[in-house]
Amino acid sequence: MSYELNYTVGSIPLDKLKPKKVRKNIELTLWERLYIPEIARGMIVTTRHFIVNMVGFIFPPEGKKRKIFTVYYPEEKLTIHVAYRGRPVLVQREDGKEKCIACGLCERICPAFAISIIGGERQRGNDMERYPVSYTLDMSRCVYCGLCEEVCPYEAIVMSNEYEGLAEYDRENMIYPKEKLLVPVAKLQKRIEYVRKIYGKSNYDLRNMI
Amino acid sequence: MFAELIEAIAKILFIFGVNMGFFAPILGWVERKQSAVMQDRIGANRADILGFTLIGLLHPLTDTIKILTKEDFIPAGANKLFHTLAPFISLTPALITFAVIPFGGQYEIFGHRVNLVIADLDVGILFIFAFASLATYGSVLAGWSSNNNWSFLGGLRAAAQMLSYEVAMGLSIIGIIMVYGSLKLTEIGAMQVDLFKWGIFLQPVGFILFLTCAIAENKRVPFDIPEAETEIVAGYFTEYSSMKFIMFWMAEFLEVVTISGIVTTLFLGAWHLPFVSGEKLLSLFGFAGPNLSIVLLMLTNIATFFAKVIFFIWLQMTIRWTLPRFRYDQIMKLGWKIILPLALINIFITGLVMLLK
Repeated sequence: MSYELNYTVGSIPLDKLKPKKVRKNIELTLWERLYIPEIARGMIVTTRHFIVNMVGFIFPPEGKKRKIFTVYYPEEKLTIHVAYRGRPVLVQREDGKEKCIACGLCERICPAFAISIIGGERQRGNDMERYPVSYTLDMSRCVYCGLCEEVCPYEAIVMSNEYEGLAEYDRENMIYPKEKLLVPVAKLQKRIEYVRKIYGKSNYDLRNMI
Repeated sequence: MFAELIEAIAKILFIFGVNMGFFAPILGWVERKQSAVMQDRIGANRADILGFTLIGLLHPLTDTIKILTKEDFIPAGANKLFHTLAPFISLTPALITFAVIPFGGQYEIFGHRVNLVIADLDVGILFIFAFASLATYGSVLAGWSSNNNWSFLGGLRAAAQMLSYEVAMGLSIIGIIMVYGSLKLTEIGAMQVDLFKWGIFLQPVGFILFLTCAIAENKRVPFDIPEAETEIVAGYFTEYSSMKFIMFWMAEFLEVVTISGIVTTLFLGAWHLPFVSGEKLLSLFGFAGPNLSIVLLMLTNIATFFAKVIFFIWLQMTIRWTLPRFRYDQIMKLGWKIILPLALINIFITGLVMLLK
């Protein structure tokens, strides 16, 4: 069975690409067994890297500080993509209350048993609504898997892009109460939209549900 | 008499200062930084004084301060005397061998004869070999006296490897001694005025064999089975800390310098510039008067010598960060079955050519 491929690799058309030769015979040739030329070849490779990188230090390429991709962490930071799973946070509505309805799905799915919720009810307009009286996230157990975010039907818990300041000297400080988890919804809009896309929640009519 | 004393002290201080004050700390930095740049990394550059990092040059300083304040630990069951003695035995030969390496030739300055070598021995090369062999005892003693399995294995490997390569190294140098007809390093250096009389052209095989053996003797990658980090922790100096640990490292770095010095003297024309003779340089410096022009010539030659030494240090560092480690049996095979016969053949051919000429 044959089929035609007419895409390109980089800028080279496929039919002009040479197939890579695979050496079936792993016996060394005499030239390789002499060893000295092969050492020289290896040293040329490392020296080329050395020279290219040194030139890259002195004359950095356009728009970059250096040719080497290393990032000096505390001074320079990577731009975090929206797919990054930082610490989980509770979404805070515009009126300052939490979006969570204390259904307990996240508590149930959490593989590390990091979440514990105590639910309650409160007045909202003419209706009653459920809310978490206490929502505790044990950050010493959290594995940043994002299952809580995936399972949440109300987009009430999402993974933020925060990854700093999470280490503590005391385990007591790593148990996050509800107040520490709440983040205004405006800050999390990008992630919420992303979550709708990847978990197929876009067909939920969420505005009616809340 | 008095002038000679001052001259001797000045030379000793110069070599000691260059080795201990410049090469030993700088090589640690070079090894880190060069390996980093070769591997597309940045390397150590975080130590700073008032925000100035000087591309990591302050790291040797901070390392020294750290090392000096560390606990000097001797493990239980170790032989205290030998455990303490071993790093000194390692370091001393590395320091002493540079005494017979000429670093600039002979000059007449202000009616005083200056020979730029600390000890102009008639048996210069033999002296180097004798002391380099003593360094083996340092490694073996360190490995044995630490009372640690890894150290012991490292010591055994060091003994086997260094004794094997001692033989091959001795034989690889015979060719060059035959060609120049002297064991005196100053004479060998003085004979390499012309570019095509450099040892590397007269003895190319001897050069490669000697460099290989010298790196093996120094226990650096690819011949670092005595310290093989991935196999036996740190080999013979696993149980060392504080200053004693750094003494092993200093010995290794100084041996790199010494090897470069020997190779430069024997194979790379010692202190002579290629294509430019001493007389030509002297006429070039003629504007400075008869005495000062000789001083300038001397400084040029010293600079040439150390430039060559630095080139060889760079070469050894590149080899160290390019090649993977040999296996133990491969090292033994290379030493006994390849380098030793090649060295013997080299001697034979050299003798034949000299006889027929």
